[in-house]
Amino acid sequence: MSTTPPMLDVRHLVKQFPKRGGMFGKREVFTAVDDVSFQVNRGTTLALVGESGSGKSTVGMMLLGLLETTSGDVLYEGRPVIGLRGPERLALRRKLQVVFQDPFASLNARMTVAELVMEGMRVHKMYANDAERRARAEVLLGQVGMPAHALDRYPHEFSGGQRQRIAIARALSVEPEFLVLDEPTSALDVSVQSQVLNLLRRLQRERGLTYLFVTHNLAVVDYLADEVCVMEKGKIIERGMVEDVFDHPQHATTQRLLAAVPKVEM
Amino acid sequence: MEKLLQVDDLRTWFRTSRGIVKAVDGVSFDVAPGKTRAIVGESGCGKSITALSILQLVPEPAGYIESGKIHFGGEDILERSWTDMRGLRGREIAMIFQEPMTSLNPTRTIGWQLSEAMTVHGKDAPVARTRALELLERVGLRDPNAALRQYPHELSGGMRQRVMIAIALANRPKLLIADEPTTALDVTVQAQIMSLIKELQDELGMAMLLITHDLGIVSEVAHDVSVMYAGQVVEAAPTRDLFHDPRHPYTQGLFASLPARNRRGQDLMTLDGIVPDAANWPTGCRFAERCVHKMDACSTAPQLRVSASGRQVRCHLPSALEVTK
Repeated sequence: MSTTPPMLDVRHLVKQFPKRGGMFGKREVFTAVDDVSFQVNRGTTLALVGESGSGKSTVGMMLLGLLETTSGDVLYEGRPVIGLRGPERLALRRKLQVVFQDPFASLNARMTVAELVMEGMRVHKMYANDAERRARAEVLLGQVGMPAHALDRYPHEFSGGQRQRIAIARALSVEPEFLVLDEPTSALDVSVQSQVLNLLRRLQRERGLTYLFVTHNLAVVDYLADEVCVMEKGKIIERGMVEDVFDHPQHATTQRLLAAVPKVEM
Repeated sequence: MEKLLQVDDLRTWFRTSRGIVKAVDGVSFDVAPGKTRAIVGESGCGKSITALSILQLVPEPAGYIESGKIHFGGEDILERSWTDMRGLRGREIAMIFQEPMTSLNPTRTIGWQLSEAMTVHGKDAPVARTRALELLERVGLRDPNAALRQYPHELSGGMRQRVMIAIALANRPKLLIADEPTTALDVTVQAQIMSLIKELQDELGMAMLLITHDLGIVSEVAHDVSVMYAGQVVEAAPTRDLFHDPRHPYTQGLFASLPARNRRGQDLMTLDGIVPDAANWPTGCRFAERCVHKMDACSTAPQLRVSASGRQVRCHLPSALEVTK
């Protein structure tokens, strides 16, 4: 193995939420993420899989700074990121972008596609003026397979797959290095899912992007991911290369998950 | 064999501001007693409206059945009035939906709702209560006695879908229509629910019409499958035949777009373009604009052709019906 640090190094991450109730106001906690550690190497894809409530999305939210951690460390290129403030935090937020499951909910319906794609560039003061940003937005749309005339339309005028491509263009607008993909194809039909998966593969190839893929879809993981961590009740119960874990699952839960996937017998 | 359900040239249309939306536009299929037919297709293909049409539950007044015949047990049930359908709905034909929370009444206990499903069809209340308990036991609720007194929100999604199944099966229907019954559930719960439905189907000798977008589920439970695209059936065959050797370019595209291990490092097949507008279907083949085999003949609408082995394909390609083996 090389000596360069992993792109993302997550160490003993914990997230607890206060539980409601408890007799005499006794404070009880629910541990949503329980001592989770993993590394993601540059240019690779790590999948975080598990059923609803396993904690996989909570991990993603903490990495993005959308949720505070209870304890643990997150290192990005060897530097701690938790507790960053001001310009350092902003710089990190540019490198780390996210694409959510539901492009209906994640795109502001009152903004045009141009505004949506330019918003991040404005926040990070990229490019000299809006004319340059708009030109950049047009290039980005082209890269995700959307026509230039989409710029002045609103999200509702597009199909689910097109909206997801707009969300990806928006994430790419600030030249990120790392994308958290939280169920990015789960709301899409299979023929549209394949377009988005092809696009994600191409972008990774061309830009050397690193992906954390949060999903319950094991077929997508088998197709796309290099490594996989299986989560249950907040813990990582099994991890390894996708081929190894899927062909020789060691943990009973992993075996159960894999066995439950309906097989397409062709 | 005598068919339990036979749908012939069904057209279910909607009046909208954009004109008439022909959501279901000439759909035919049948379901044999005790067997499962799946209808698969992507969003907007008309599969759910087809299912709702059978029970005359199409949202009115916008939606209406323009033409077609639906025979159930030999009777043309489209001749029945909406109120006469009540004798059939929930008794002879039951239906379960994707999201049990929207089908269950949030203000009534599980026990009440299960009993009601039986008493409206003439069962005595005490008999219904006893049977309600049996049903909850049968569908695998951990504490059926407690569940009788619980409200829907107190149960998990998987448990609620089990309750829906109990309600659907309360009157031992001959046909179960299941519209995406496991789509909202985790994969292990999905597997449990599908195997429960299969078991109960065998026990009751019940037929099933399964509406789904999930080819994996079709592969595991259906005997026959009809693939819908743009309001029509484009291909139908016994499940094994269709999966081994899909003939319609749309079906072929669907299979080729599935992610899988052996496709790592390769681009998946995509269907470029979009489904045409249901208010304005093209006069020719509805799939032509997205089809890799598009040819001159495609400007006229292909009919559903039937091969000697009983396969149906709506495509002009000669190879679509060729015998390969």
